[in-house]
Amino acid sequence: MWSKPWKMTEGFLVGGGLLFVGLMLQLTIGPIDWSLFAAPVNYAVLALLLMLIIAMFLLRRKIYAFEWMMHYSAAVPCLCYAAGLTILMGVTVQTPHGGIPWLSQMLQFWPFVLIWTWMVLISGLATINHLLRWQWKEIPFIANHLGLFLAITCATLGNADLQKLQMTVFKESPEWRALDEDGGIHELDLAIELHRFSMDLYEDGTPKRFASDVSLYTQDGKHVSGTVEVNKPLKINGWKIYQYGYDVQLGPESKYSVFLLVRDPWLPAVYAGIFLMLAGALCLMLFMAPKTKKT
Amino acid sequence: MSWNLFIWFALGAVLCWAVGAFFAWKGRSALVYSFTLAGLGIFFAFIVGMWISLERPPLRTMGETRLWYSLFLPLAGLIVYSRWRYKWILSFSVVLSAVFICVNLFKPGIHSKALMPALQSPWFAPHVIVYMFSYAILGAATLMAIYMLFFKRMAGDVEMNITDNLAYVGLAFLTIGMLFGALWAKEAWGHYWAWDPKETWAAVTWLCYLAYIHFRKAKPAEWRTACWMLLFAFACLQLCWWGINYLPSAQGRSVHTYNMK
Repeated sequence: MWSKPWKMTEGFLVGGGLLFVGLMLQLTIGPIDWSLFAAPVNYAVLALLLMLIIAMFLLRRKIYAFEWMMHYSAAVPCLCYAAGLTILMGVTVQTPHGGIPWLSQMLQFWPFVLIWTWMVLISGLATINHLLRWQWKEIPFIANHLGLFLAITCATLGNADLQKLQMTVFKESPEWRALDEDGGIHELDLAIELHRFSMDLYEDGTPKRFASDVSLYTQDGKHVSGTVEVNKPLKINGWKIYQYGYDVQLGPESKYSVFLLVRDPWLPAVYAGIFLMLAGALCLMLFMAPKTKKT
Repeated sequence: MSWNLFIWFALGAVLCWAVGAFFAWKGRSALVYSFTLAGLGIFFAFIVGMWISLERPPLRTMGETRLWYSLFLPLAGLIVYSRWRYKWILSFSVVLSAVFICVNLFKPGIHSKALMPALQSPWFAPHVIVYMFSYAILGAATLMAIYMLFFKRMAGDVEMNITDNLAYVGLAFLTIGMLFGALWAKEAWGHYWAWDPKETWAAVTWLCYLAYIHFRKAKPAEWRTACWMLLFAFACLQLCWWGINYLPSAQGRSVHTYNMK
């Protein structure tokens, strides 16, 4: 063991080491507080992460562990650990507070985050490695690994900048204040005026469609009118406005409409990752699957 | 189209598929294609009929997703047959499809016309159909693994080649289904990924198949471990598909619960 080339055994030991370090961190500094990553910290962390990956790549001949991370024998144990911890997440109730210590807040649990970070590092290194030996046929590999890297990194780092607010708007009474998840009031640069709330029902009385005719006003002077409906949000100044609720007692006669307002500045980067992965999935099927062998 | 007619369409389709699978053993490929395609046509006609009479895509309830699964399994079998002339895969996939048809016969879902607003989206049909197709292809990969582990007790180059191809194509559709789901979730719920129990298990399933294809590259000779990985991955897939309805940690916490109504 630990003689070159490293095999999967070493990979499982590295993963075990990460779990141990993660547990130590969890015991000493406690769960990860993702709100600390709000801009500009997340931009700095992303820059550091990219520099780290480039440095690891440049040092790969000097430090064997970095070279090994680009091999399948590192990827397999990493994926196994990631699947294992995610299974643990799937069998424990996830709740913001309480539940099973550590496991019920899996996204703040150091071992989980370290293993996923390991996966991000591997996909980043693999991307650089294949970018530098550029050939057209490397595109499928790069799309898959770069896509995964972008989607996970940017979704995670961008989460602290995500704003998710709830706004209740009464008819003909423009509203610009919204509540966050902890009940804090936010005054926005955006006001919503509700003209009409409409609702169709199925024969059994369950809602078939509900929608709000609204006007949107922004502080920089924009004025947009439109309809917000489930699955059809409106977009203005980086906000997406979703139909969220209504007065369930009154149903179609509801005097107000509840909207969810979401602003996610990192969304374009995450979408870039998602579309790369979609392209990668097509390539996986068309070019990466092994050639057919005949009986 | 009424659900009461399902048994007749199902009988007709399974009969055609069984005859097609029989001719695969006899090496009569023209008859294999004719009968299997006829069966697929009959079954698909029922689905289209349901779609029209329900005035919505029949993809909402568990029973409705099983309908698509029963359709896609023989299709996956036919694709494998057409590429590799592998004669027993059709029989296996028809038997598995018949099992799911029986589940639907004995435990029919409630097929009301109601489609809650959150499901009224152009993403609904592609998201679920792509997933069901991927489940069927990965089901075929699982059948290959079972065949090698417990029946043939060895793996030839061709068997592993078929299995790898099924895993790659299945994983590709799994990825597309998952990412379509993410894009839809952003439009419907405001965020593309929320670690809902269904999403968590979808991630687990996805990671397991990723582990498989990387393992095949790392250790091409260790087919036995690879086959066990496929069985494990398929168990996670089942948990994701319907198992979470029985999983204590997911009770009342998933927004993917339309199928329970």
